[in-house]
Amino acid sequence: MSPQAAYEREPARRVFASELRETRYQFKEGDDEKSPTFVLLPSGIRSNRIFVVGTLTEKQRQGDQNIFYRGRVVDPTGTFFIMAGSYQPEAMQQLARIEAPAFVAVVGKPNLYTTPDGTCLVSVRVESISVVDRDTRDLWVLDTARETLDRLEAFGTTEDSKKAQEEYGTQPDVYRKIAYDALTQVQL
Amino acid sequence: MNLSEVTERISRKLEAKGAQPDRQKIESRLHRLVEEFGVNIAEAERTVTGDLAREYNLTGVGSTSTELRPISEIVPGEWVTIEGKIVALTPSLSPSIAQTGIIADSSGAMRFVTWTRANAPAMEYGRWYRIESAVVDEYKGAPNLKIHSGTTISRMEKDVPLLPSITPITELKSGVGSVRAKVIQDWEVSHDRMLQTGLLGDESGTIKFVIWKEDGDGPSQGADPAAPEEPLGKEKLSLDTVYNIFYATIDEYNGRLSLSLNTAMYISDEGDIEVGRNETEIQGALVHVAPGSGLIKRCPVEGCNRTLSRQNYCPVHEIQPNFRYDLRLKAVLDDGIRARNVLMQRDVVEKLVGITLDEAIGIAESNPLGMDEIFYRVRNAVLGRYYTCSGGEFAGRLLVDSCTPITFEPAELAALLNRAGGEPA
Repeated sequence: MSPQAAYEREPARRVFASELRETRYQFKEGDDEKSPTFVLLPSGIRSNRIFVVGTLTEKQRQGDQNIFYRGRVVDPTGTFFIMAGSYQPEAMQQLARIEAPAFVAVVGKPNLYTTPDGTCLVSVRVESISVVDRDTRDLWVLDTARETLDRLEAFGTTEDSKKAQEEYGTQPDVYRKIAYDALTQVQL
Repeated sequence: MNLSEVTERISRKLEAKGAQPDRQKIESRLHRLVEEFGVNIAEAERTVTGDLAREYNLTGVGSTSTELRPISEIVPGEWVTIEGKIVALTPSLSPSIAQTGIIADSSGAMRFVTWTRANAPAMEYGRWYRIESAVVDEYKGAPNLKIHSGTTISRMEKDVPLLPSITPITELKSGVGSVRAKVIQDWEVSHDRMLQTGLLGDESGTIKFVIWKEDGDGPSQGADPAAPEEPLGKEKLSLDTVYNIFYATIDEYNGRLSLSLNTAMYISDEGDIEVGRNETEIQGALVHVAPGSGLIKRCPVEGCNRTLSRQNYCPVHEIQPNFRYDLRLKAVLDDGIRARNVLMQRDVVEKLVGITLDEAIGIAESNPLGMDEIFYRVRNAVLGRYYTCSGGEFAGRLLVDSCTPITFEPAELAALLNRAGGEPA
């Protein structure tokens, strides 16, 4: 690409909570301070941003000097841990207004951290959050299942999925099962 | 320059002629000349290219070329001999350039540049020339003919009429091209030196065009009326008229093409064109609502329509207290693979959000948050939801004609269940 190529926004990947929970590998593309950071999803794609629709079940305000909000968003497969701090004032205020439980759509950046006892945690730094309805949640489950299956079909043929194979020893059937189980929870 | 680059270039030249040269052999010959015999790289390149061309029995490679080539087949990196007609001369931008313009034959057209150092005779508009041993390189993504001190130019007495072939707009590439198109939009010029800018369309799609002002507006008064006249000072195009535009320059900027008509000859045409809408349909989740969405103020000056700042300031017409209100939505629609910018105008936004412009004005004028209140309402109505948008793609964004919420399809669920459970787990 030429250096003046137009800026392309990173797409928001669709991923189920139980897949995101397994994510352990984080990397940076390029040496620039502003280069994006990616996590590598076990189904074989890099992700700098995700889109999640689920039920906000819990919300907490934390911190004294630096206020931030934590929340839990549940999908049919597990829980996403979300947070919004004063660096994202818009997102923080959006989250502050929402009363749990509610169906929410979250756009955010996945981040990995390691706790002092060595456990690796994935949390989602919220860019935006809004209240949606059950239909949107169902559409998201379908959308996420479709994109997960698409990734599994291409598994082993792309650079990212080869890397995922190396890092996680991904067994595609496990994630196909996760997608199947999630779909069975959508009511006809 | 290093030897592997040179090797690459030589082997590409030979491959273009159908030979399959051994890169190692090329490199070792270059290496021998440069390292052992102290030959400079350019000379070594010429020698090796020439030797190999003889070995493979090829003509038209490197400086040995005197074979006449059709312009459309020429690729960057070649030394060529061509015969063509000067169909455009453009003002030189630098003292080191004596002449620039476009040369054409029956196969196609190409930009050329004559270096002042070449001491070449000036070529005249509308005449045919034989140009031997010119170099073709790449300029702004398109082949460009360079006339240097080793080039021989001779004027030809022939005058064959050229019929440039018309290219559909969506198939244009950087370089030189001819189109038959209708002027569908006439925009306000954004620069002092611009004479006219707008949008041209044909059956296949649309493209932005620009005509720059030239020194000495109006046709030049040639001393000899018989001599072909060099067109100076361009005429404007009229809206909704179809033109045959020959030899326009096609430039690329940020991945988008635009047509500069300063090199072109254009004549209006009686016919009409049904302009292709270039309709694109995308589906996805609306993941971002950009600032500048919701209720906005526009400049009331005719033909301007720019968005005003909060203080009613237009970047061109300054403070405009008698602005017009408008509703719009600038957003990102994301399908998980690609995030695309979409722009929705008032009627689409009114339907999508369920609020009319008048209602929005009423709310904004009576609410302490003012216009921000409308931004929040629009955002809360659409953010995080799934839509199908269709419209025309322009300048890196989709101008949305229609936007409908995606609804849940039980058949889709059944198909996905089959796909996920279709194979034994």
